[in-house]
Amino acid sequence: MLSLFPPNDYALIAVILGMPLLGAIVNGIWGKRLGNAAVRFMALAAVGVSFAASVVAFVALAAHVRQAEDASMDAHVKLSWTAWEWMHTAGGQGTGTVPIEIKFSIDQLSGVMMLVVTGVGFLIHLYATSYMEKDKGFARFFAYLNLFIFAMLVLILGDNLPLLFVGWEGVGLCSYLLIGFWYENMANAAAGKKAFIANRVGDFGLLCAMFLLVNYTGALDWSGMANGAHNLLHPNMTGPLSRVQLWPLGSGNVYPPGPLHFLNPKTPLTISAATAVSLALLLACTGKSAQIPLYVWLPDAMAGPTPVSALIHAATMVTAGVYLVCRMSFVFVLSPFAMMLVAIVGAATALLAATIAVVQNDIKKVLAYSTVSQLGFMFLGVGVGAFTAGFFHVFTHAFFKACLFLGAGSVIHAMHARVHADDEAQDIRNMGGLRKWLRLTHWTFAAATAAIIGLPLTSGFFSKDEILYRAFVDNPVNPEDGKGFLRKFGTFHIPPVVGPILYGVAVAAAVLTAFYMCRLYFLTFWGEFRGWTVGRPSLLAKQELAGTKHERDHALDAPHDTELEDADETHEHHEEDLSQPGYPPHESPWQMTVPLIVLAAFAVLAGWLNPGFHLPWQAMDHWLHPVFAPVSSAIQVRHANDHEWAERMEWPLALGGIGAFAVGTAVAWWMYIAKRGEPAKAIAQAQPALYQLVLDKWRVDELYDATAIAAVDSLAETSAAFDKSIVDGIIARLTSLVVAASGTILRAFQNGVVHVYAATMVVGLAATGWFFAVPHANATVVDAGNDDYVVTAAPGVGYAYRWDANSDGKPEKADFGADSTLKLHLEPGKSQTVRLEVKNAFGFVGKKSIFVAHPPAQTSSL
Amino acid sequence: MASQAHSHESGEVAATKHDEPLMFGAPQLVAIALIGAAALVGATFISGAVPVVAAVVVAALVPKRQGWNVRAPIAAMAGLLAAFVVRNWPAAAGAAEAVQPAETGHLLSWIIWTPIVGAIGILFLPRQSHGALRGTTLGLMVFTLVLSLPLLRATMGRTFHFNEDVAWLPRFGIHYHVAVDGISLWLVLLTAFVTPLATYASFGPIQKRIKDWCFALLLLEGGMLGTFLALDLFVFYVFWELVLIPMYVIIGVWGGTNRIRSTIKFFLYTMFGSVLMLGAILYLGYTYARASGGAPSFDYFELQRLMIPRSAQLWLWAAFTLAFVIKVPMFPVHTWLPDAHTEAPTAGSVILAAILLKLGTYGYLRYSMGLFPEACTEWGANLAGVAVLGGIIYGALCAWKQEDVKRLIAYSSVAHLGYVMLGLFAVTPAAIEGGVLQMVNHGISTGMLFLLFGVIYDRRHTRHIDEFGGLAKPMPMYATLFVVATVASVGLPTTNGFIGEFMVITGTFASNKLGHFNGVQAAGAAIGVILGAIYMLMVVQKMFFGPVTKKENRRLPDLNPRELVSLAPFAMAIFVIGLFPNVLLSQMHGAVERVVDDFDARIEGNPGPRYYDGPIKLAPRRPEAPELGASRPVVAAGEK
Repeated sequence: MLSLFPPNDYALIAVILGMPLLGAIVNGIWGKRLGNAAVRFMALAAVGVSFAASVVAFVALAAHVRQAEDASMDAHVKLSWTAWEWMHTAGGQGTGTVPIEIKFSIDQLSGVMMLVVTGVGFLIHLYATSYMEKDKGFARFFAYLNLFIFAMLVLILGDNLPLLFVGWEGVGLCSYLLIGFWYENMANAAAGKKAFIANRVGDFGLLCAMFLLVNYTGALDWSGMANGAHNLLHPNMTGPLSRVQLWPLGSGNVYPPGPLHFLNPKTPLTISAATAVSLALLLACTGKSAQIPLYVWLPDAMAGPTPVSALIHAATMVTAGVYLVCRMSFVFVLSPFAMMLVAIVGAATALLAATIAVVQNDIKKVLAYSTVSQLGFMFLGVGVGAFTAGFFHVFTHAFFKACLFLGAGSVIHAMHARVHADDEAQDIRNMGGLRKWLRLTHWTFAAATAAIIGLPLTSGFFSKDEILYRAFVDNPVNPEDGKGFLRKFGTFHIPPVVGPILYGVAVAAAVLTAFYMCRLYFLTFWGEFRGWTVGRPSLLAKQELAGTKHERDHALDAPHDTELEDADETHEHHEEDLSQPGYPPHESPWQMTVPLIVLAAFAVLAGWLNPGFHLPWQAMDHWLHPVFAPVSSAIQVRHANDHEWAERMEWPLALGGIGAFAVGTAVAWWMYIAKRGEPAKAIAQAQPALYQLVLDKWRVDELYDATAIAAVDSLAETSAAFDKSIVDGIIARLTSLVVAASGTILRAFQNGVVHVYAATMVVGLAATGWFFAVPHANATVVDAGNDDYVVTAAPGVGYAYRWDANSDGKPEKADFGADSTLKLHLEPGKSQTVRLEVKNAFGFVGKKSIFVAHPPAQTSSL
Repeated sequence: MASQAHSHESGEVAATKHDEPLMFGAPQLVAIALIGAAALVGATFISGAVPVVAAVVVAALVPKRQGWNVRAPIAAMAGLLAAFVVRNWPAAAGAAEAVQPAETGHLLSWIIWTPIVGAIGILFLPRQSHGALRGTTLGLMVFTLVLSLPLLRATMGRTFHFNEDVAWLPRFGIHYHVAVDGISLWLVLLTAFVTPLATYASFGPIQKRIKDWCFALLLLEGGMLGTFLALDLFVFYVFWELVLIPMYVIIGVWGGTNRIRSTIKFFLYTMFGSVLMLGAILYLGYTYARASGGAPSFDYFELQRLMIPRSAQLWLWAAFTLAFVIKVPMFPVHTWLPDAHTEAPTAGSVILAAILLKLGTYGYLRYSMGLFPEACTEWGANLAGVAVLGGIIYGALCAWKQEDVKRLIAYSSVAHLGYVMLGLFAVTPAAIEGGVLQMVNHGISTGMLFLLFGVIYDRRHTRHIDEFGGLAKPMPMYATLFVVATVASVGLPTTNGFIGEFMVITGTFASNKLGHFNGVQAAGAAIGVILGAIYMLMVVQKMFFGPVTKKENRRLPDLNPRELVSLAPFAMAIFVIGLFPNVLLSQMHGAVERVVDDFDARIEGNPGPRYYDGPIKLAPRRPEAPELGASRPVVAAGEK
């Protein structure tokens, strides 16, 4: 089995990648013709085979790892497969070309990620086959979804940064297409565009990181960059440091003396190349993983179909940023400042998004902000150097958040039976008491909620607790500190106060998480049903007679079977009187509930893969250890790296997480079950302005609209106006005006009056005569080789020449002669001034000095 | 690929009525997958079969609604592109070196003169027989494309190939000298590839003065090919100006309502630069005569030997460069472009964007950088700033605020060519390779965008963006191809746009010719990536998404066979270059290295402020210059 595919030519990767691509092509081109059954088969087979191949590859990887461990070699094993060489570019401080190959590799990190993407992806595909059943764009949907899996796998398995960028942009494109899946609604299309552009801002960072990395480390593949990473601090131990200048723009003191000179500060503001790369990568990650400041696109992205929200905007794509930080950990650890910033961004996002989630009423919006908040926790984890913990949260989050979104989809599906407007069907104020009818959905939703709020012993508890603990005790330091020139300049040290603050913010976010998730859960599944009057069967029978049969049909419909055929008749026949009794909400079919059950099981149990607390089995930690071993020396604990202190702190610090769970849940219980939501209303009424502000998401969108977007917009307006009025108007028109004006003036002379012409002729003749009467001494110098130079005087009518080769006032010949050239011999580096006198036929003499220089000998041949 | 699914959204309502949906079950699908996999596996072992397999697969991929009149040409084009990739695969090219074909015959002359002589031949055909006129024109253009394919069989390396050097006006040292290297190769192929497609697409909308139209297009093609291949500055100038006339006529006769104003503007702008260049060319020729003591020469390789001091070189460089940057165009002499594009007929816009603008960038690379490296270095850093601020950023911002779609695409050209020029100013191998690749890329993706816009213009006769909306529903196939062109224009990886931009940006950062600003300029160029997405997605959103707002748009027919056949090769080329850029890069690598070495040899060979500081003299010929023609005297360096 192991010998079938050698590790350095692991062609099974082609199958893992190729199947989803094949599915996308087949469904994309023939989808309509194939019919829904074949499309469903193709889509499921594509991801299913890919998942099966992933499992095989993963098992093989595990076997290789064990072999390496047994042989006590480096256990960071890679199964790689090279497709072809893609391109090459400049790198390594301009000294060489760097080939960029289309090469994929599976190591411990990408292996886990690959299993999650194909496994969870398969479940969500299965779910979607039922959820999207009635949609007109069934085939198109699965083509996009398969393409997304392909792009995500390219992102994960790509062995170099440009190839990761292919996947990075590919998932962005799929996200764009799927958010705007129902493109007839302009709001959906706009949300897709917003997502794409926010991601593009991040891509700008990734591009900058790439050109910095290829220039400093001389490579773009993972191992090459890791080997050359120290160049980001100091290219060699003794030489100058690698610094990137931020201000003044450019390098050195770029503004010459003059009006702009004041812009030059005394010392230019520089950062190390490692920090520059890390910050650029962080920008990229904030775009893709929806962190401050670029998180605003993710809540809007919920316009896409719910399976898309589960797959792309919760479980897989948005975690790509965390994956990138883990992957590039060898760069981040070189810059403790950037690490600190990653952690701060993560903690701030976790808290901010949690506050917004507290008041939202749209079930998907709550989950969207919850995703942003949980991604913040992950960034906090990797930011403090707990790469395994951060990545483990990616792993557990994939299960419970996918389960929550799919559960929400199941609920929305049920609500759509009678409530057809999207925003109303998703409004938790219209739900309640659904646990009676949607039993499976309820239990799986409860399990996933338990995981996300950190109920002890569920997966979310273990992964979140580890992050909180490490946020408090970890202290990343620069591993190159004290080496080479860095000894002289020193490095950045994270202030000791940062750890406790991060811990405090994270605990606060965890309290809010427990609160808003329980609020969501209680409002949806507990209490009385508020959607419509659930009637008695006798009444229902009467109604059916009254001709509301199509209503029953709708009860089985996917939420979006609105006629795409003709825009005229959308939604009109969906208006219903909800006060009339109707069938109770119904449970979803098995294609939707089976994924829920599997995901819920993982959401509860997956934590035991890495429970922390120094228990003897830490599968994930052990598995990922070879990946992060090279950077582990940079991650110390505070109190002068006192590991005993850190170990003592573990249990006390766990109380924070457990307490957050307890407080948040208890408050939610009291508010929404014990008091039936009265306290919440009271608070909202007591603080209407604050409530509205939070409900409007702190008006961050409006802030961006008013600042950054408005600035770019007005800049563009100005450019367009400038182009029209100044460039085209003045430069072009002015030129043509000058031409036209001179034409007008000259036209005045062409008036047909003979004596004006005669006068002009006289003036012209006089000028010509004057020209000929005055001698023009001019000469050109030509290098004739062998240190000889020839000076040639310009010819003229009746000219005679006299040369004075050394300008000593004594011409070589006393008389003027016909010899118009002079030969000189000049050794390299010598120069000479030649005097030339020209006499014309009238006897006037003109003089000119000509300077002839022979440049010094040149080193390089020409 | 993703968006191909658009094509099945709802536009097939008509089709599904008479085509029963095939109820495929699992076994059939598995069979198809197995056959496909077997074909692919077989293809990897028998590389000769790849083009055939590709052609068959693509023919099968075309939705069944299309007849063989669509499938056959598209399949042929796919086979051609596949053959192109396989034959030029870097590893395969190394093996083929042993069988380097003999570079005899007058291949380049055939390529240049086939369209021009054909244009004259067209004049003798009867004006009424439209079919014969169109068929002959297209046949001649396809023949030119076929003629240019053997160029690919030569391994280009650092030198020039298919050298042809014949005395034309010996008294003035004017020779008919043509040759091709790894840089001009791709521009020649681009010309031979785009022109027939644009011409074929034009055979629908252009219905008046067919004979004149065919004449103009053939003359235009010959002129462009000549400009790219000429290596005698006088011949170059003749072709350079020859291009101007048919383009002037194309805009002026078949253009929109304001065509006369636009065409005059176009003509005056380009002419202004060209005349100054002519002066500089004459000056160079006679300076050569003075330095060599013999006859003047306009041969590129001979003039390259001239060592010119700063006082003269700056002016000469300025005259050449002005002509080129007007053609590119760069800020602030770019305003002729939006006007010309808006008024030009579709085929005119396509050729203007895809090829004509490349005359400027190619000219700068070949002549400004080849003849005046010192002046290029002195001004390169500043001009790179103009390329970034005035091209990439300013062009994109202006594009965003246009309401006329053709104007918008025109401004996007300004932005894209900013990348090309930035790459040339940076003078690193990666940046120049990226720049040359970006020339080809821009030709393909912007050419396709103009062609696509022509489709809707023929149906609606308006260019105003608000006139459209929700077009994805009536025209799904059209929307799909538009999205493909958009992602290429935006520079998404796996499309061609990304490779060029990426190489230019990394190459710019590694440059030492940009003074203090290489980092800033690389970052500025990267900002263009954001802006590109903003304006192009705005177009897509406004044109294709949302409800159909205008009644006229509701029943628009989707692409007809002619449009589909002319668009499909562009779409395929986008992905071929995006996935296999090395096919192009490996052929141009040597030539670009030669350019950089020649450049650096002059810069580093000169003491002081990097200018040669002495009387005009001749340096030795550059090592890679082709041998002189038989009729030409050999002038040694510095010999009187």
